Amino acid sequence: MNKLFDKLQEDVRFREGLKACINCGTCTAICPAAEFYDYDPRQIVDIVQTRNEEKIEALLKSETIWYCGECMSCKTRCPRGNVPGLIICALRSLSQELGYFVESEKGRQQLALKRTIGKSILKTGYCVSPELVAAKLHPEQGPMWEWSQQHLPEIYNRLGANYKGDGPGALRKIPEEALDELARIFEITGGNKRFETIEEFSSKKAKELGLELDSGTDSEYFLNIYTTNNNRHNKK
Amino acid sequence: MKVEGKRLIWKDYQKEIAEDKFFYVRSCIRQTFFPGSEWAFLKIMKEVLGKDVYENPAHTTCTGIGYHSDIVPFDTTMTVVARQFALMTEAGYQNLVPSCITSFGLYTEVMETWKHFPEEEKKVREYLKKATGREFEVPKNLAHASDIIYKFRKQIAAKGKYRLINKTTGEPLKVVEHIGCHYAKMFPSKGVGGAEYPYVLTGMVEDWGGEVIDYPERRHCCGFGFRQYLVKANRGFSVACSKKKFESMAPYKPDMIITNCPGCPMFLDRWQYVISEMEGKTYGEDGHGIPVFTYEEVAGLILGFDPWDLGLQLHQVPTEPLLNKIGIPYDPFKKYLGKNGEDIGIPIKPSMLNTQ
Amino acid sequence: MNKKVVIIGGGIAGMEASITLAELGYHATLLEKSHSTGGHVQDWYQLFPNRRPAKEVLTFSELRMEGKVKTINDADIIEIEKNINDFRILLRNGKLVVADAIVVATGFDLFDAHRKEEYGYGIYENVITSADLEKRFSEGKKILTHGGAVPKRIGIIHCVGSRDEKSGNNYCSKVCCVTGVKQAIEIREMLPETEVFCFYMDLRMFGRHFEELYKESQEKWGVNFIRGRLSEANENADGSILLKVEDTLAGKPLKMKVDLLILLAGFVPSGGTKAIGKMLGLPFGDDGFITPKDEHTSTNLTDIQGVFVTGSCTGPKSIQDSIADARAAATQVANYLK
Repeated sequence: MNKLFDKLQEDVRFREGLKACINCGTCTAICPAAEFYDYDPRQIVDIVQTRNEEKIEALLKSETIWYCGECMSCKTRCPRGNVPGLIICALRSLSQELGYFVESEKGRQQLALKRTIGKSILKTGYCVSPELVAAKLHPEQGPMWEWSQQHLPEIYNRLGANYKGDGPGALRKIPEEALDELARIFEITGGNKRFETIEEFSSKKAKELGLELDSGTDSEYFLNIYTTNNNRHNKK
Repeated sequence: MKVEGKRLIWKDYQKEIAEDKFFYVRSCIRQTFFPGSEWAFLKIMKEVLGKDVYENPAHTTCTGIGYHSDIVPFDTTMTVVARQFALMTEAGYQNLVPSCITSFGLYTEVMETWKHFPEEEKKVREYLKKATGREFEVPKNLAHASDIIYKFRKQIAAKGKYRLINKTTGEPLKVVEHIGCHYAKMFPSKGVGGAEYPYVLTGMVEDWGGEVIDYPERRHCCGFGFRQYLVKANRGFSVACSKKKFESMAPYKPDMIITNCPGCPMFLDRWQYVISEMEGKTYGEDGHGIPVFTYEEVAGLILGFDPWDLGLQLHQVPTEPLLNKIGIPYDPFKKYLGKNGEDIGIPIKPSMLNTQ
Repeated sequence: MNKKVVIIGGGIAGMEASITLAELGYHATLLEKSHSTGGHVQDWYQLFPNRRPAKEVLTFSELRMEGKVKTINDADIIEIEKNINDFRILLRNGKLVVADAIVVATGFDLFDAHRKEEYGYGIYENVITSADLEKRFSEGKKILTHGGAVPKRIGIIHCVGSRDEKSGNNYCSKVCCVTGVKQAIEIREMLPETEVFCFYMDLRMFGRHFEELYKESQEKWGVNFIRGRLSEANENADGSILLKVEDTLAGKPLKMKVDLLILLAGFVPSGGTKAIGKMLGLPFGDDGFITPKDEHTSTNLTDIQGVFVTGSCTGPKSIQDSIADARAAATQVANYLK
């Protein structure tokens, strides 16, 4: 029974991404994730094309499928027209749908993404905005960013933005009606269902691990998934 | 290296770029990190080139970052994209110009998916109608904002006050051009010059007086990787990718980096700061780092816009050394002032990177 | 017999078909587009599997043609008219050639390696093709880098322009693998201090003595084989070439610097094959080569009475294949004309 493979086939990205692999290795050769992580897109595609239920389930529960950066460099090279990056997208979607994502350290991070980026989309209509990149959580942004965070309207409006204003312009306040439409789109197309699924399985996992999880970004489980790295993700 | 070899390839990858009447959709990342660039793009388009560029304030994110973080399902993303198309159609426009490269890649991916799987388009039309009552036409022309600047690069050069030339030596500046992965890697025929030797930024640099450097890791991703940066535990991957590029380009002594994706210049800028703090190593001359620019910033500088109007004060790697090389004047005392000239303090200096 | 056969294409298949037909007593006229007969074999130095001189094979044919086959070089065909009983072939210079049967032997071109953009042919000077290398061998030139140094390491890339959807050619060009092994040995013999690495997906050692040649390349000459298709070639500041490949047997990405890179360019249907095939109304396969009447039982026949096909115009072939196929085509022509 190839139930998981059949489920993958329902995803249009999977159908675009998997033709048949001849194991030439041009994808792995060029993949940035393969340089730094214990990751080999060729092997992943080779496993998936066996259609083997156990192997695909193992993949869906593994760290492996979360190393990809979706740069799509693999697409430029494959001589058979496969796209490992799109296959990864399909694997990640299925892994979340089935709740398998919480079985891996990297997979559990999906909750963090949902509560930052996902929340931002529905609340502001943007994926990212200056407030989301809080200087304390992002020391890598440097002292210039720390300074700019303290004077957002003055700086951004100086640069031609319409910071939280009505009408057109950078960083404008996106009108309520538009946000309502986004909300309805998310409801009808399964976007909300995806968000709920991520929350549901994460909540179960938090209980299992004995970590506190509230609805914000400060609780034990959230900080755990946001910052933990077991240092076993690189090649031996 | 024989550049003529590249010119043969560039000829094969010419793409249709609309002439006028553009529907502009903004970039979450560009607005957040380089708002001056979007201002500059619109000013150049409207005032310098006299073009019709329209923005409907009701447009939203394309959800690209959410989609590539795999938290937003493809059906949702396609429907949000369809809504953007609907706003464009309703406003009477057919030429879509996204500010973001991820958006550009996403719009292309969605349109190509609908070509291969027409039932997906049908499904999305129904979803959009049901959720918003809107209908749409697929854009007749899709071009990234950098494609537009590329198309009009000669006009910009003609009206320019400055060139990408070292005013002391008279030599063209050495420029690293970094193309966003989602510009041409997915659909090479949709990128000017294709995926291997993209020409969109090279064309600008050449016509503006500079010299493009080819280096082994030219095509390497900057390392954004969506979840690889957005989640703190993964950031090592992101900085490692940028570092790989810096190590590869350093021997060629570039004067500057120009990019077309909004995320890439942020990463190439900030990771230099991080590497200097983590390892004590800086690239470029005198510990200044290699300044990183958006193409809008470079176009604006060529045209004589004030560097602080362009937003160069929001760069962590200082841009003044490069401005000095070109001979672009600036008032250092106005750098950190607010919109009405108010004093809002200045950033702390990093411990390793020389920000003068 | 007074029957006239025109053979279009003066490569080895066309030459051998013309000789066989002449020896069978027909008037054989060989039309060749370029200045001389011999086709691609003129550009080769030593032939696999035994590294015998290519010239010997050409001479073998040329000597037998002398006095028996009428050869017209610089023959640019602009029109072929099929009548009930014969064909009229019009050349650009106005000359008209009449035939009772035509043998199409228009052959192949080498894949233009410029089109495999990420390999840098035509951009990075230290990237050359197998044909370029063979030419250096023929001309007795030293094998040096662009900068004039003896290369310390040479890379050979298999499947350039073949088995590659992106190049537009899904098929295997058959003879490149054994060519790569042959050239690897030739290099090792000339430059004993130079390392040679072959980057392959499969090693297609299909013919007699081919597998033994591969064995010899490893045991006697120390040629290295890495199972991984080249993904990208870049140029270092010193002009050497940086390769990005996966060693798929080790399951690890690999970056390797070579001083000279050799691309084993595959076959594509020649311009002549496309033009003559179109003029005659012959069917082409998805791969662009001419499709014969039956790919098992009638590989030299076409659906057009009196038109026969031989050599690489119907698909990649080795020299042995082409010579045998040409003689087979000649018997089919004889069968038709009797």
